[in-house]
Amino acid sequence: MKRSATAVVVALALGVGAGAAMAQAKPEQLVKQRQSVMTLQGKYFGPMAAMAQGKAPYNADIVKRNAAFLDNLSLMPWDTFDPSTKDVKNSGALPAIYEQPGKFKEAASRLENESHKLYTAAQSGDEAAVKAQIGAVGKSCGACHESFRQKQ
Amino acid sequence: MGLFFLLCTTAAIAQGDAKRGEYLSKAAGCLGCHTEERKDATPYTGGRALKTPFGTFYGPNITPHPQAGIGRWTFPDFVRALREGGRPDRAHYFPAFPYSSFTRISDADLRDLWAYLRTLQPSAQPSKPHELGLVFQSRFALWGWKWLFFAPGEYKPDPTKSAPINRGGYLAVALGHCGECHTPRNMFGGPKKERYLGGAKLGEGTSAPNLTPERLKKYGDGELKDILTSGLFPDGDVMGDTMSEVVRNTTSQLTAQDLDALIAYLRSIPALPDEPK
Repeated sequence: MKRSATAVVVALALGVGAGAAMAQAKPEQLVKQRQSVMTLQGKYFGPMAAMAQGKAPYNADIVKRNAAFLDNLSLMPWDTFDPSTKDVKNSGALPAIYEQPGKFKEAASRLENESHKLYTAAQSGDEAAVKAQIGAVGKSCGACHESFRQKQ
Repeated sequence: MGLFFLLCTTAAIAQGDAKRGEYLSKAAGCLGCHTEERKDATPYTGGRALKTPFGTFYGPNITPHPQAGIGRWTFPDFVRALREGGRPDRAHYFPAFPYSSFTRISDADLRDLWAYLRTLQPSAQPSKPHELGLVFQSRFALWGWKWLFFAPGEYKPDPTKSAPINRGGYLAVALGHCGECHTPRNMFGGPKKERYLGGAKLGEGTSAPNLTPERLKKYGDGELKDILTSGLFPDGDVMGDTMSEVVRNTTSQLTAQDLDALIAYLRSIPALPDEPK
């Protein structure tokens, strides 16, 4: 619910101007933006993964907050993957993103869906389900990195 | 009494220790190629596709089933496969089966691995044939590959290095076969030795990163241990599927001592700059 409400607010705030603004963004800026989203996804996912793997004590409040952040962050990277960013230096994005747009879209949707499921699970407070879903989110990250990102 | 013990120990050595073999099998990552990729796949029954520039290889069934698996093999057959890269019928294996690495496995470890494989539940699942380009279909040509690039024999510890570094070297070189992906290959598919673990392109734009101190120096030992047990980088970044699986099946399964040794070894190898992109 919260997510769709946020989406509506964002859509209203940006209006139709968003598309035009996007078209003008410099490739370097788009890369910087998506790398920022990825950095924050790592920031909020990392501690949850540590909890799921038993490396850190489970904290339901942190999971609830981080899952909500991640649920929104998972929607943000995709409109920055513009073909104009292909030649930007310091980007690990592979050409496969633009050569196999269907497969890339699928990988992106998978992250969105798994992140949303994690948000729902975190609200329910079922620790075992939450931990399993953290694993599913991690797998969706890894699957996309496997095919579409230069190894770090 | 002493003689009794001696006999028992000798028998144990001759038969191999299946429990140790199970650990070695994890350290060697056998599961990865010899198991299908689907969720409910039975381990070691074969089926995983390995895509290479030379074609697609499928890891065969290695359970002790007499027809579908390796149930009719003898221990010398097993040794020939891993140490010499040869089938029981003397044909050569394709180096997609990393015998260039496995040849370095010690005699004792081969016995334990064999003992473990004999304990698996036999599965009748047939192995899939490889799908290879015409040029690469001939196993005879492999004779040339072996002559050029294959030097059989156990791992030789470096007497100038510490015991942990040598143990780590054995784990990385012989069992872990890290170089199969992380060392670049020449046009004939042979490893570029002077670029050992320097990182390599793997086709389809993907690559295996540099594992020499040049890149690893940015991580502390604790961070490296976390990376190799969690599949996550310190910033929460998640590694790609292939290495995630290696972490799940192999590096996270190592004893704390072996993991330390592996890291000590990686710290000791020559630092190499990244491959040009």
